[in-house]
Amino acid sequence: MSSAAQKFPTTISLSGQRINLLAWQARNRRNSVLLGLGVFALLALIAYLAAIALSPENAFLFVAIALLVGGVQNGVAYWFGDQIALNVSGARPANIEEHRYLVNVTEAVAIGAGVPMPKLYVIDSPAPNAFATGRNPEHGSIAVTTGLLKLLDRQELEGVIAHEMSHIKNYDMLMMSMIAATIGALVILRDVIWRSRRYGNPGFGGSNRRRDSNDQNGNAQMIAMLILFILLILAPIFATLLRYAISRKREFLADATAVYITRNPEGMASALERLRDYRGEELKVSEGVQHLFFTNPVRNLNAESLMATHPPLEERIRRIRQLF
Amino acid sequence: MGVTLIIVVILIAIALFAVTTFNRIIGLENRVANAWSQIDVQLKKRNDLIPNLVETVKGYATHEKGVFEEVARSRQAMMNAQGIAESAQAANMLEGALGRLFAIAENYPQLRASENFQVLQEELSSVENKIAYARQFYNDAVLQYNNAIETIPGVLFAGPMNKKSQVHLEIPETERTAPKVSFS
Repeated sequence: MSSAAQKFPTTISLSGQRINLLAWQARNRRNSVLLGLGVFALLALIAYLAAIALSPENAFLFVAIALLVGGVQNGVAYWFGDQIALNVSGARPANIEEHRYLVNVTEAVAIGAGVPMPKLYVIDSPAPNAFATGRNPEHGSIAVTTGLLKLLDRQELEGVIAHEMSHIKNYDMLMMSMIAATIGALVILRDVIWRSRRYGNPGFGGSNRRRDSNDQNGNAQMIAMLILFILLILAPIFATLLRYAISRKREFLADATAVYITRNPEGMASALERLRDYRGEELKVSEGVQHLFFTNPVRNLNAESLMATHPPLEERIRRIRQLF
Repeated sequence: MGVTLIIVVILIAIALFAVTTFNRIIGLENRVANAWSQIDVQLKKRNDLIPNLVETVKGYATHEKGVFEEVARSRQAMMNAQGIAESAQAANMLEGALGRLFAIAENYPQLRASENFQVLQEELSSVENKIAYARQFYNDAVLQYNNAIETIPGVLFAGPMNKKSQVHLEIPETERTAPKVSFS
């Protein structure tokens, strides 16, 4: 290990491309911000179109309400998302006496990753899994199941902890919960508009014409209405698919970062193999927090599907063995 | 007028660039210092664990005086060490001595079975582990710092700022194979 540790590559090759790990992380953070703003802008656009189509007089109010709903949801996700996720998963704080081993392993990995020691939680379940949450490294939390602690040896556990720490370091949790919150706001907006269309104004855009004095406005309204309906139907679906796609990509990055932190691809790969081979009880968690976990808690989910939050385990193992 | 403006803009750009580079070098240098203090904390923690460990082993393995003395000697050297190079060397020596102590412990099944020894072994191997990670982080920090002051633009500042390349820590071969404890 002597000089190998210094020469460990920060550049890896992925599907034929040379990728610099540090640049990848930086790009990821930038993309996070852009994507967050993008989804938020989509929300504003839909609200604006809705305003034009439904009641031009109140355009400002519409946009304001939509952004307010989105803002509040994002605010809640930002400040309380970690506590909510921990509560929903039934995690309890780890204590040093009972989980000395976990605390020691995590402290070591935190030193290697150069991040503050995260708060540790334990979930009582035989299913081996773990997740990370927290808006930034200073507020990071990692929860592991008791099953994980039983199943893995030290090097494997280090791999899993390093993977979770990478999520925190790369601001993945912040990103995912913000996107989820904005999608939530989109869905609320969609339902509100849907209802107001159905019960408020009969007809498809035509009824709005009576309010307008000239035809050009009417045309604009028609077009706005059309785009609005298309967007209303497609936006939440696309946003959700996008979220899953990002989630899968970030799993790979977190795997790669974890190997970089532990300098031990074997630990990470064999942890994934043990989890793949686990045949016991499944972890019961709500759909909203599934994407947070180390591996998808629902075992029979088709991992190739667009709705998968994680890449197939086989693929993750193969990439780790191939990369390093 | 136009020319003056251009010159002023260029001067401001150069000044900004100089400030950023200067700050970057200082930031990376501080990171190296911080990384070293991380190692130092763990080395001290290990030193504090040793007397307890030696006492426990002595209770079962009374005839192994040579190793106890060696551990005590290198622990003392560790405590007296000044500066990074000396500390690193003493730490490696101590690591070797502890390795021999644990090898001896293997021969005493009763010792291995004692709960006290198991807790100490877990604590010690986890400290060893943290030292390994802290060294790795230190070397990463040194690498980044060295890269910064050896490449353009940093190299232009390193001379006037009197900054020199720092040395990587050698990581002993035994590092990652620190005594393993199984919890089953």
